[in-house]
Amino acid sequence: MSLTGYKRSNGEWGFRNHVLIAPLHQMLSQSARAIEEAVPGVVAISHDWSGMREKDFDRIAKTLSGILVNPNVFQTVILAIGTDIESEILSLAQAHAKTPFTIVTLKDAGSLQALTELGSKAAASALTGAKALKREAAPWSAVVLGLECGGSDAYSGITANPALGVASDKFVADGATSILGETMEILGAEHLLALRAITPEVGQQIIDVVARYEKSINYEGIDIRGAQPSRGNIEGGLSTLEEKSLGAAKKAGNAQFTGVLDYADRPPVAGLYFMDTPGHDIEQLSGFAAAGVNIAVFTTGRGTPTGSAVIPTIKVATNTEMADALPDLIDLNAGTIADGTQTLEEVGALIYDLILRVANGEQTRAEIGGHHEFNLSRLYGSTL
Amino acid sequence: MKIQGIKHADRGVGVRDHQLILPSVVCSTHVSRRIATEVGAITFAHQNGCGIIGIDVSGIDNFFIDLANHPNVNSVVVTALGCETIQGNELNDKIAQDSTHYLVIQESGGVEGTVASGVAHARELSAKFPGTVADLDLLTVGLDLSRDVANLAEIRALFAKENISLVEATARSGSAANFSSLMSQKAHVILSFPDENQPPTGFPLIPVISIAGSGALHQAMIGEFDLARSSSAAEILDCVIAIANGKKSKSELSNNGEIVAPRSVRSV
Repeated sequence: MSLTGYKRSNGEWGFRNHVLIAPLHQMLSQSARAIEEAVPGVVAISHDWSGMREKDFDRIAKTLSGILVNPNVFQTVILAIGTDIESEILSLAQAHAKTPFTIVTLKDAGSLQALTELGSKAAASALTGAKALKREAAPWSAVVLGLECGGSDAYSGITANPALGVASDKFVADGATSILGETMEILGAEHLLALRAITPEVGQQIIDVVARYEKSINYEGIDIRGAQPSRGNIEGGLSTLEEKSLGAAKKAGNAQFTGVLDYADRPPVAGLYFMDTPGHDIEQLSGFAAAGVNIAVFTTGRGTPTGSAVIPTIKVATNTEMADALPDLIDLNAGTIADGTQTLEEVGALIYDLILRVANGEQTRAEIGGHHEFNLSRLYGSTL
Repeated sequence: MKIQGIKHADRGVGVRDHQLILPSVVCSTHVSRRIATEVGAITFAHQNGCGIIGIDVSGIDNFFIDLANHPNVNSVVVTALGCETIQGNELNDKIAQDSTHYLVIQESGGVEGTVASGVAHARELSAKFPGTVADLDLLTVGLDLSRDVANLAEIRALFAKENISLVEATARSGSAANFSSLMSQKAHVILSFPDENQPPTGFPLIPVISIAGSGALHQAMIGEFDLARSSSAAEILDCVIAIANGKKSKSELSNNGEIVAPRSVRSV
């Protein structure tokens, strides 16, 4: 199967051609939603940032600016108040990519109603342009794959996660980029991942980011080894953090690690990366979106409806029971491995094919259902 | 000062008659919005609920309980995913009222099943727990003091004279944080003095009255404010009484403003 996409002026490729409606202040989130309703086909994000230079401003600015220019975005309609701090975010975004922006400010529009009308007009015009752009043949290096798991259970580590690892390995071998995240969910398995690093320095970085995250949690007086696995995980049959971590790490297959990324940082060259992210599904997906991930696979044992505003997100069930019970959430069932009806390699090949089909335009369950979450990850004063 | 309010089962007398669709986790916000749009209820884009640790667990739990028990609320549908840190069933138990229903996506056949069930239960609750007109004996007004207010002493004195209870929030980190604090203090109406470099904003369950400052930003969007910068204590009081009696504030008309749950520890 061949790969097609939308080539962007900075050399990145998109597998979707979104018109993104992005508010730069929480009070404009409602206007963004109103534009999304008024102009079917555009996608809006909302968030809770109040435009203040808070402690987490750098992290917020990196996440917001990154998603504005994700390669799956054709054009972004920016809803702003009209303040200097917003200009900083736009400058950061434009350093990554030349995604066209239409900026509508409340200061100039004078009222929310006028801003919503101006934003709707800009969105409709951008959508016409987006529809006119044609897909073209894309190289394997176009793929920036995000690996995620959420609501894990005892099957995760033996079905969906290693099957996704098979697909990830094949993409990485062909010159694509793949990113594993969720720092606290590889705790206990980091020494095994470090052995697969391209250099001893990268291996040490993997060890260090896990230690740093755990230390920052300990600093709050919390023992992560007591808080994980979560209650939902335990109900799903997971017994220890190490069991969860060994299973979570399987998503990244057996390829060599090219590097370690800070939250929401863009990978500099192709290869397999580890990104320092929270396990919180939406904080992770938002960090991936800001880093330029253009397609994601999300394995789940308990089932979840969530998706990303800009990244098509494929849901793979770890067990047949859940896949049958929640059909409108799941794109592919890897539970067949545990059922004994398919092998790991067979399901890995199915995931690989589905990634290609979705990259080429097939809609995921999350996209059909309109699930496109976004949020801003904060450290709340953690300096570690 | 007598206000004509609305009496709600178990929640006392409020000044609005809102149904709340409460997502217990970010994963159920889309389902909540679909239910809320269908039945005309209030919801919000909750950003957290999973991967939270330490004091944030009880902090967000208590914040949700305060939201669900606010006097402007007639009934609540809690929507949970099922595997999140804040377990919806425990939250539901703590709200502990007949006028609350609890739904779990992972146990309701997925998204469509949850939306259908949520809409049906929301309608049933509205029919079973209608707000009834009642006198509000003690109006509680929340003051969002995100900037310095020249005639604050006069406002306090006049409101005290009229037997209006004042609760205050003085953080300078944007009005949204102060609104959350004032909600927990059961303010029926909020009087907001936003920072000069910040727009006026709202809070979905509570009418917010915004008073403009003198800076260029506020003057450029003056139509979004309820009151001009030179408003006297008496003019502010008149506006509060009108809004408490049912007139819609600017933020209610535009539906703007997110509910921001207080957080203090990073996610795992």
